[in-house]
Amino acid sequence: MSDLDVIGTSVRRPDMPGKVTGHALYAGDLALPGMLHGKLKRSTIAHAEIKRIDTAKALAFPGVRAVLTHANVPRVLHYGSPHPRSVSVTKDQYILDTKVRYWGEAVAAVAAESEEIAEEALDLIEVEYAALPAVFAVEQALAPDAPLIHDGHPGNLVADPVVVKRGDVDRGFADADLVIEGTYEMGRPTPAYMEPNVCVCQWDADGKLTAWISTQTPFMVRGILAEVLGLPYHKVRVLVDHMGGGFGAKQDLFQTEFLCALLARETRRPVRMEFTRKETFLGGRSRHPGTVWLKQGFRKDGSISARQARVTFNSGAYGSHGPGVTAVGTAALTSLFRCDNVHLEGRCVYTNAPIAGAYRGYGVVQTYYALDIQLDEAAERLGLDPAELKLRNAVREGDLAPSGHPIVGHGLEDCIRRGIEEVGWPTLRHRARAARGPVRRGWGMGCEMHGSSAYPGIKEQGNATVRMNEDGTVQLFTGTTGLGTGAHTALAQVVAEELGVRFEDVSVVHGDTDVAPWDIGAFASHTTYMGGRAAQMAAAQVKRELLERAADELEAAAADLEVRQGVITVRGSDRRLSVREAIGPKKGIPSAHIVASATYRPTKSYSFAAHFVEVQVDTETGQIDVLQVVPVHEIGRVIHPVAAAGQIEGGIQQGIGHTLTEDYVIDPADGRSLNAGFVDYKMPLSMDMPPIRTIMLETAPDPGGPYGAKGVGEDPIIAIGPAIANAVYDAIGVRFRHYPITPEQVLQGLREKHE
Amino acid sequence: MKELVRVTINGEARELAVAPYRSLLDVLRNEAGLTGTKKGCDVGDCGACTVLLDGDPVNACLVLGVEVKGRRITTIEGLQPAPDRLHPLQENFIKYGGAQCGFCTPGVIMMAKALLDENPDPTEAEIRFGLAGNICRCTGYTKIVEAIQATARQLGGGKRGA
Repeated sequence: MSDLDVIGTSVRRPDMPGKVTGHALYAGDLALPGMLHGKLKRSTIAHAEIKRIDTAKALAFPGVRAVLTHANVPRVLHYGSPHPRSVSVTKDQYILDTKVRYWGEAVAAVAAESEEIAEEALDLIEVEYAALPAVFAVEQALAPDAPLIHDGHPGNLVADPVVVKRGDVDRGFADADLVIEGTYEMGRPTPAYMEPNVCVCQWDADGKLTAWISTQTPFMVRGILAEVLGLPYHKVRVLVDHMGGGFGAKQDLFQTEFLCALLARETRRPVRMEFTRKETFLGGRSRHPGTVWLKQGFRKDGSISARQARVTFNSGAYGSHGPGVTAVGTAALTSLFRCDNVHLEGRCVYTNAPIAGAYRGYGVVQTYYALDIQLDEAAERLGLDPAELKLRNAVREGDLAPSGHPIVGHGLEDCIRRGIEEVGWPTLRHRARAARGPVRRGWGMGCEMHGSSAYPGIKEQGNATVRMNEDGTVQLFTGTTGLGTGAHTALAQVVAEELGVRFEDVSVVHGDTDVAPWDIGAFASHTTYMGGRAAQMAAAQVKRELLERAADELEAAAADLEVRQGVITVRGSDRRLSVREAIGPKKGIPSAHIVASATYRPTKSYSFAAHFVEVQVDTETGQIDVLQVVPVHEIGRVIHPVAAAGQIEGGIQQGIGHTLTEDYVIDPADGRSLNAGFVDYKMPLSMDMPPIRTIMLETAPDPGGPYGAKGVGEDPIIAIGPAIANAVYDAIGVRFRHYPITPEQVLQGLREKHE
Repeated sequence: MKELVRVTINGEARELAVAPYRSLLDVLRNEAGLTGTKKGCDVGDCGACTVLLDGDPVNACLVLGVEVKGRRITTIEGLQPAPDRLHPLQENFIKYGGAQCGFCTPGVIMMAKALLDENPDPTEAEIRFGLAGNICRCTGYTKIVEAIQATARQLGGGKRGA
């Protein structure tokens, strides 16, 4: 490993100085001359036909410059999330429809001289609704007499059910010594990124749209804006520099982007539209709530003979990523713990609830919550240690992954073994328990694996262009977005390493669809894996050309040259030349600059983790506190240890929230949002967060990623949930098969146990 | 309708025309052109807009612009001791990975500044208590706490250790 100069080093991230000084620009920081402010009017009913909208009073209000409704915007059916090449998403949205399908859906938009005026004007828009029967729960939506939410989607199914079969489950269950089944129920956590959705739109005199948007997928947004607004791609430019988090959800469009562009076109002035925090809940995207019915057969030795599951997700009013989330979450149950006989079904159902979409973990959070907890249940019934049972069944080299690829290495086994050793698991399991006192402690562990890239759901490609300047510095052009994870830094490290220049001599050009190579977006834990590999390939071409030029001057064959840290040397001699000298002007004549592009079409690799958790349960109040977490991750080659560990720790924070406190709830009677704000939607904060001792293994590098690197973004949010639920069981002997696990439920569970 | 507000921001005397209903946050971002202070919720829940008002940390979204007449405000833009130098908190947030998306960071750093001004030698529990009003969704707080501890040590406090 010491043969690497830049990879594996926590270099100073170039995006950081701007962030810590307040000079980093986010889309909402932009103020353009003459800029107007846009606002959305949202529905106060969950399911209705719009009978009439009267905008006359709003338009007459001083300072109002434009009002848009379904009557004066283009009516083009589009993908709410712009992956039109894939089966992950559904084409079921209009910019503004004649119907509303959830409480809080936008029905009109206003542009005015100030935010205050725009808000006043919203109240002056009169909307008359003809109410339709609404359904909020999946069972209601699947009932034979349920109202149809989308034409063309009979039975309120977002897509055809996902069915995955391997082997013969009937024979597998017949083989089993123990059969366990249960239904696991998941709440509705939201990503709650700190930067509310925002966009600023401006048209030039030649009819070109420039849009600054906080999005993970600028090229997809460009495509869908162009498609819906009827523009060629070169007339739409999407810009995103810094963005304040996304966690998957900012792959969608949120009605605003179209409306902001249309308001700007109508008024011939730039328009900024920024969600309030409340709107990020109302009009944002949550993780899919749902249920997983899971049945498994176990042999006495702990091996799993059969696995059957029915996954049912509540998509809310629109499909968004429902098909993709259902497919990925369902297929994930083929793996993690080995089983030859599986029969899995996944369904995604429209309701009049808020929209669920892509969110870190993409369906796998839900299904592995069920799978891992059920392994814990089985371990107890079989008289085995749960970590031992999971280790015996852990997926390993050559097994078929959910994507259909063979697994590389023994990552999961390595994680479990290291965690067992690190926390002294056998001793913990056999420790003396406090028999008295209200506070009980327990340990639990949970496992996960997750793919880097969205293959096979999407056939992705990563692109990169690398250019060497005449002073020997290097610029990487990438279309991928920096959500805050340090991805651009990692890509620059890859380029520096491959090309043999200092990290400080590489900068990254990004965030502009007019300039950067096409990119599918920053999601699916693939930026470092896929974009990094493309950058490595482009850098390798630049290096080849550079060494050819240096060869003449050094009077050596290019094959005998080596370049490290900006210095080219001839192997076995003391002849050397700096990169700057090799590429600089010769006798005053500039040399041709070197530029190379590369495209990489990945398949998939998997990262693994086992999380070990200690909790404390107060049996008098029902309060659960997480006391410590030891996450062990196998993510292949670690490129920037501090950034990678930071992502793991942040994922754990969100996972603790999912499991214990976070649930975006709606009134079951009318679908009205009940906790759309940070006081009532409870996330773990500084005082709630336990110490986290992050361990990153590099035992199963994948040849698909640069230097063997794999993804890390989604992994940490998956294993923490079941680990907590299992630790709670260890502490108080009450088994919870849902999240979030609230204090009331703990108290109720304890009461039932003692009855 | 607008009132003239004379106020010292980051050491500079400023004269701003302020509508009476505008929050200090909007005044800083729109009228004063200081967009480093972020709007994460606008209702006092998230701490992203934390600034120092006469040295005390406040949520700028909960203060009216007209309330700051004659007072002294420090925002994240005013923390650097010189244009080419960073405050130790800023250096340590970079070094320890205390920022990711960066949106909560200005507020967190200003709160940390207020905390260390009042208590140069905080325990980890005191740091976590001090940050109770600042939501960070990226880091899990581990590296934020480390960055503040390192700064306390560097500035001469931190004797009580981790």
